[in-house]
Amino acid sequence: MFWKYSIKRVLNGIIIFVILIFIYSILFNAQLERTIYSQIDEQVNGELHNLNTSRMTPEAIENWILQRRETLYKSYNLDKTSFERIVMRAYNTITFNFGKSTIIKSNSGKRDVRSIVFEAIPRTLLLFVTAMLIDVFLGILLGIKKAQKPGSVLDKSTSIGTMIVYGMPSWWLGMLMIMMFVYALGIFPSGGLHSTPVPQGEFAKFVDLLWHLTLPVITLVILGFWGRAYLTRNIVLSTLQEDYIMAARARGIKERRVLYSHGLRSAAPPLVTMSLLALLASVGGNIIFEGIFSWPGMGNLYWVAVQQNDIPVLMANLAVTTGLYQLGLVILDLTYGLLDPRIKVGGKA
Amino acid sequence: MKLSNIKDSIKNFWKEFRQVKSGIIGLILFLIFLFAVVFEPLIISFKETNNVWRDITYWEDLPRNVPPAWTNLFTSRKSAESMEIDDPEITEQQNGNLRILTSEFTYDYQSYNPPQDIIFRADGTGSPMIIIEIVRPDDEKITLFQKPVNLGSGNDVRVSMDSNSKDAVYNFLSKKVPRSELQKINKNLLAPTDYLFSVASEDFIKNREPLNGIYKIKVTSIMQNEDANISDPYIVLPGSVYGLLGTDSYKRDLWSGVVAGVKWALLIGLLTAVVSVSIGVLYGVISAYLGGWKDSLMMRIFEVFVSTPLLPVLIVLAAVFKPSIWTLIFMMCAFFWTGSVKTVRSMALQIKEETFIEASKAAGASNLRIIFKHMVPLLIPYSFASMALFIPGAIVYEASISLLGLGDATIVTWGQILSDAYNSGAILSGIWWWVVPPGLCIALMGMAFAFIGFAADKILHPKLRTR
Repeated sequence: MFWKYSIKRVLNGIIIFVILIFIYSILFNAQLERTIYSQIDEQVNGELHNLNTSRMTPEAIENWILQRRETLYKSYNLDKTSFERIVMRAYNTITFNFGKSTIIKSNSGKRDVRSIVFEAIPRTLLLFVTAMLIDVFLGILLGIKKAQKPGSVLDKSTSIGTMIVYGMPSWWLGMLMIMMFVYALGIFPSGGLHSTPVPQGEFAKFVDLLWHLTLPVITLVILGFWGRAYLTRNIVLSTLQEDYIMAARARGIKERRVLYSHGLRSAAPPLVTMSLLALLASVGGNIIFEGIFSWPGMGNLYWVAVQQNDIPVLMANLAVTTGLYQLGLVILDLTYGLLDPRIKVGGKA
Repeated sequence: MKLSNIKDSIKNFWKEFRQVKSGIIGLILFLIFLFAVVFEPLIISFKETNNVWRDITYWEDLPRNVPPAWTNLFTSRKSAESMEIDDPEITEQQNGNLRILTSEFTYDYQSYNPPQDIIFRADGTGSPMIIIEIVRPDDEKITLFQKPVNLGSGNDVRVSMDSNSKDAVYNFLSKKVPRSELQKINKNLLAPTDYLFSVASEDFIKNREPLNGIYKIKVTSIMQNEDANISDPYIVLPGSVYGLLGTDSYKRDLWSGVVAGVKWALLIGLLTAVVSVSIGVLYGVISAYLGGWKDSLMMRIFEVFVSTPLLPVLIVLAAVFKPSIWTLIFMMCAFFWTGSVKTVRSMALQIKEETFIEASKAAGASNLRIIFKHMVPLLIPYSFASMALFIPGAIVYEASISLLGLGDATIVTWGQILSDAYNSGAILSGIWWWVVPPGLCIALMGMAFAFIGFAADKILHPKLRTR
């Protein structure tokens, strides 16, 4: 049963991803082609520069340029109808054929969009997964404490904390943290992945990475764990009001045991969902936070691509972000199905 | 459901809402913001802010990058406040066909940090010769500026000492300070007022001591022709502190900018929330009510929208289409509506099974009538709660888009102020008064609506109420 459900869910995810890529193609095709046209012009001019034009008549040069352009247009499929081009663009995106960037280069100096975007993914995951793990751990711990004594001072004050950070942009808090810890106190680096020069030795490199990771992670955790605690509280509190908890208490089982083995067991599926959703929400809403810390991940790539007006990188980054997001949603549903068998029977969400 | 019923339910809701303290705090904060919008012309210091925010010449007489005036309260080393001196003693002399107009301004300098600049302003015509001299309390007399200005048939005169008297002040310094000291400063980067308002001693450059007292600034204009004239002279002294929130590196008054941003934040938040929640509620209700394949299809479309990472899509849309604020709100609505669909749909599925729906169906009511008259009204309280919780999101998204420099350049929003701050390096030079207030406003507004929304949520989901 679980296999059937899983396959269905994965297929569904793939279909949605394909539909989204098609929509992106329709929306952004014109803009992307404008970049390709100018790339072709650039290439033709470059070739003309290397050509020995001294013996050619101006007309011949003109003809040569036109011919060269024509062949290049053909090789980029710009001579097809716009419908075909959109389909082809979508196909290329799905197979990760993103073409060349206009300005941005990858670490190895290549202008291949795929390697530019792909080398950013692990860094983004490192930052947001670390933050998510810490923030969920703290959040669940605090949430259970809150649910134990609803209405207590701890519960009320932390709930107010949740609301205070509710509308706070993560990047603004990042700015404040940098001002405080980098500018005023000088205990953390202002950003980036490593110090320059990168320290020698694997261990030193790792410590350096952790040192650079600390401030952005602290910022994300400060913003995140209140909300996590509030949600945990609500989830645990509504389980604690179930009859079987009351029955367990009536049987004289210790409160700790009631809370952790009876209460948490049935609160687990929504808590896992919550954690994964937190990670997805970061990708969907917090990602440009990286730019403030010059953390060279996907969020920073949006920033750079917008500033350099590098459309191919922007599009590819969007496609990859969407893919990852989709993957996250599928994983979310699968783990939920694994933890809560009732979901599978229903099938549909 | 009749109108009076809705009135009743709102009244009941308010009765309960009043009990929740945090909700009231949120409401008060919201009212303060609303107050700021309504009385904007009264509390803003520069009335034209909305039109001239990016016009550098409008702000040129303000100091650059200075903290708010109230910071003086926390330090013993006071900073000079900005001021305008417009009551000069004017004497006029006729010497053949030369007309000499002298205006003498008095400035009482009593602080530690000097003003940033001395700017002479007047109206004038023709090409008069203008000489500006300053007499210090220690009776040193320095000629700061001596040049003919060409004004044509009527123009503003603006002479800034910061850009015009670097040479004069350098010469003054060279008379006081040994050569070895003098080499330490770059003539082109020298700030004239730093030395004009300091005790002239040998270690002038290393240890600046303010020279407090009465300064006389004498402006002499010599006019040769009949048509040359100078009138309404005044002097502007941009201080080293300014206003309620200081100024940024474009010399703009940040208080005015922040106040002008309130209405846009409210508009963006409220409009996006109202439109998208309305669409979401209708979508959810219709989907639940219709059921069958229509429901499945609508849920498929909904799934596609839910599966888009919102901010990345908005960034790319904004980068490609360069939207105005209205288009941006439209784009946000196009994705935000999904937020309330799931809850509404499950609520509507329950309502659909109620007997009164069946009764009205039996009585021959049309689908539209059932949806709008019987189902939607029951969801109104929920809609208001979720609207309140949508608003902060919309404001933050707009700010994020603006931070990347993709906002609407014809308006002033908090996100754009922060974007300017970030791009001018305000963070690493510690210009906190440029970074904190706009972000704090975003956070406070978010907080206000979060308070309201959470309070409403508590009333609507009694199960979570604290015992």
